[in-house]
Amino acid sequence: MLVKLFATLIEFTGKRKLEVHGPKKVRELLDELDRMFPGFKKELEKGYIILVNGKNIEHLQGLDTPLSDDDTVSIFPPAGGG
Amino acid sequence: MYGNWGRFLRVNLSTGEVKVEGYDEEFAKKWLGSRGLAIYLLLKEMDPKADPLGPENKLIITPGPLSGTSAPTGGRYNVVTKSPATGFITMANSGGYFGAELKFAGWDAIVVEGQSEKPVYIYIKDDNVEIRDASHLWGKVVSETEEAIKKEIGSKKLHIASIGPAGENLVKFAAVMNDGHRAAGRGGVGAVMGSKKLKAIAVEGSKRVPIADRQKFMLVVREKINKLRNDPVAGGGLPKYGTAVLVNIINENGLYPTRNFQTGVFEHAYEQSGEAMTAKYLIRNQPCYACPIGCGRVNKLPTVGVTEGPEYESIWALGANLGINDLASIIEANHQCDEFGLDTISTGGTLAAAMELYEKGYLTDEELGDAPPFRWGNTEVLHYYIEKIAYRKGLGDKLAEGSYRFAEMYGHPEYSMSVKKLELPAYDPRGAEGHGLGYATNNRGGCHIKNYMISPEILGYPYKMDPHDISDDKIKMLILFQDLSAIIDAAGLCLFTTFGLGADDYRDMLNAALGWDFSTEDYLKIGERIWNAERIFNLKAGLVPERDDTLPKRFLEEPMPEGPNKGHVVRLKEMLPRYYKLRGWTEDGRVPKEKAEELGIAEFL
Ligand code: SF4
Repeated sequence: MLVKLFATLIEFTGKRKLEVHGPKKVRELLDELDRMFPGFKKELEKGYIILVNGKNIEHLQGLDTPLSDDDTVSIFPPAGGG
Repeated sequence: MYGNWGRFLRVNLSTGEVKVEGYDEEFAKKWLGSRGLAIYLLLKEMDPKADPLGPENKLIITPGPLSGTSAPTGGRYNVVTKSPATGFITMANSGGYFGAELKFAGWDAIVVEGQSEKPVYIYIKDDNVEIRDASHLWGKVVSETEEAIKKEIGSKKLHIASIGPAGENLVKFAAVMNDGHRAAGRGGVGAVMGSKKLKAIAVEGSKRVPIADRQKFMLVVREKINKLRNDPVAGGGLPKYGTAVLVNIINENGLYPTRNFQTGVFEHAYEQSGEAMTAKYLIRNQPCYACPIGCGRVNKLPTVGVTEGPEYESIWALGANLGINDLASIIEANHQCDEFGLDTISTGGTLAAAMELYEKGYLTDEELGDAPPFRWGNTEVLHYYIEKIAYRKGLGDKLAEGSYRFAEMYGHPEYSMSVKKLELPAYDPRGAEGHGLGYATNNRGGCHIKNYMISPEILGYPYKMDPHDISDDKIKMLILFQDLSAIIDAAGLCLFTTFGLGADDYRDMLNAALGWDFSTEDYLKIGERIWNAERIFNLKAGLVPERDDTLPKRFLEEPMPEGPNKGHVVRLKEMLPRYYKLRGWTEDGRVPKEKAEELGIAEFL
């Protein structure tokens, strides 16, 4: 699946986009990212916005939202503006 | 009285008369100040049917009780007047330092009346007020105007609000600019200033805002500043990337309006995002007065040098909405808009409507002549037409009327993405339906600031709501946001403090400064009073709810073509009657006698 990272997460990982294969749920994807970039999950402790194909996981099944290989996951630290 | 000075200036430009008027604490307890004071004066003194560009319209420039204090973001002011764009009320809000300085000079507001025959500017130094000749300033862009006045007066403390050529030429979306790049942008307040032949207001003050309990106030303020600093948005994303941090978020959520709202996904969003701008052009942040957030950007470009902005809204309006991805051109265009004194959202919205009319063949090459064609993504259009609009030259004269009137001239007003003729900001309501209801019911027309439902619907503040939920809970949240925004505006604070602060925090700061013991509900009641009073003004000005509380047909009938919101429209018809009901209004959207009595504004019905 395609994982897109934004804002401070780009600086943290040095990547804007990456391909990850295997995780079946958002929770597993975060574990995998934490393995690839130690401290990744800690970066999200203050909050996050996670979209699967543009839909917020809050309105899907949260961290248990299922993932498949053709999904796009976008991960943001908390953000606002206007 | 604390917080407010209890006095304001009345300047009549027809007669040259300057008067000082006052009000008491009872009045402040009812209206708080700024946006509240302004709507009271307009309802009391002006015929809402008056011509916005005629001498009867009043231009009210007003900081709030917390402006000029150490409260976080306490530097804002409002420009309240009848809008030449909408024909209804508008309350454009701006940061920078001008609002605080006006407060230091000892004034809660300047009420500008009448019309001068020749160009003038107002110079205020504490209690001294002069109306000075501005013939030599007429025609100057904003930076030149500020520079010339500063040289003339020779004071370093001076802060200036002025108009550029757009305001002078009565462009329907001209802004009042202050401190160079800060804009009271929406609704054509710059044109009202221009119609009065008022080029600028220059202020310097030396007073300290009276605070009821200074020690307590300082403690409360410190606590709120800490809250903001520790908030991941107000203390993290906003200072780091500016408001443009939203570009990617809104685009990934599928509601970043592209090519005049034909879709909500822009393939080049990243290239114009806060992340990209920070990496490429940013040289430093620029906070407004007393602001711990500092979302303002200072960028450097080879073409225009050092310039402030653009904000998220401007990047989108001059970018994705025109199919333009080149960030350097967008920054340059934003700089031009600031110099000419144009509202960037309406400028972009009007050019976008022209582009769609061109695409559909209603606006032809023949009419354009040698001018650059209105093709999506054509950056030449930006630089060429922004200037033509400001000077009302060629086609710029028609474009200066705004997207609605422009599209109407070509027989297709439906291509104007506006509400009450005010161009919509950077969120496609098909991706946030509560936000759509906000557009439809906003007193100043298609605006996001006074009902920022993007917060709960997309960003999760104060908690996450489904963007496609249209329950009563959603509508109640919108009403709360509308009333709370009125209070934050009336207090003289920036709306971005809502990332980090809640209604109780504003209560704490206001109580400590003003010496009151109001509850949060008491303050929200003032917000509700202001909202209803503005609605009454609009109804008297000729608002027809069934015609005007609506959205462009596109959002009601054309499902979003792609992305996460594919297939969605805004179910406005299902929400609007419930909104009226929850507001305590009649079925046809009017403020009934009982509601007006409950709020103590029945005299205005
Ligand atoms: S948050 Fe931004 S706009 Fe608001 S007062 Fe601070 S710098 Fe100005």
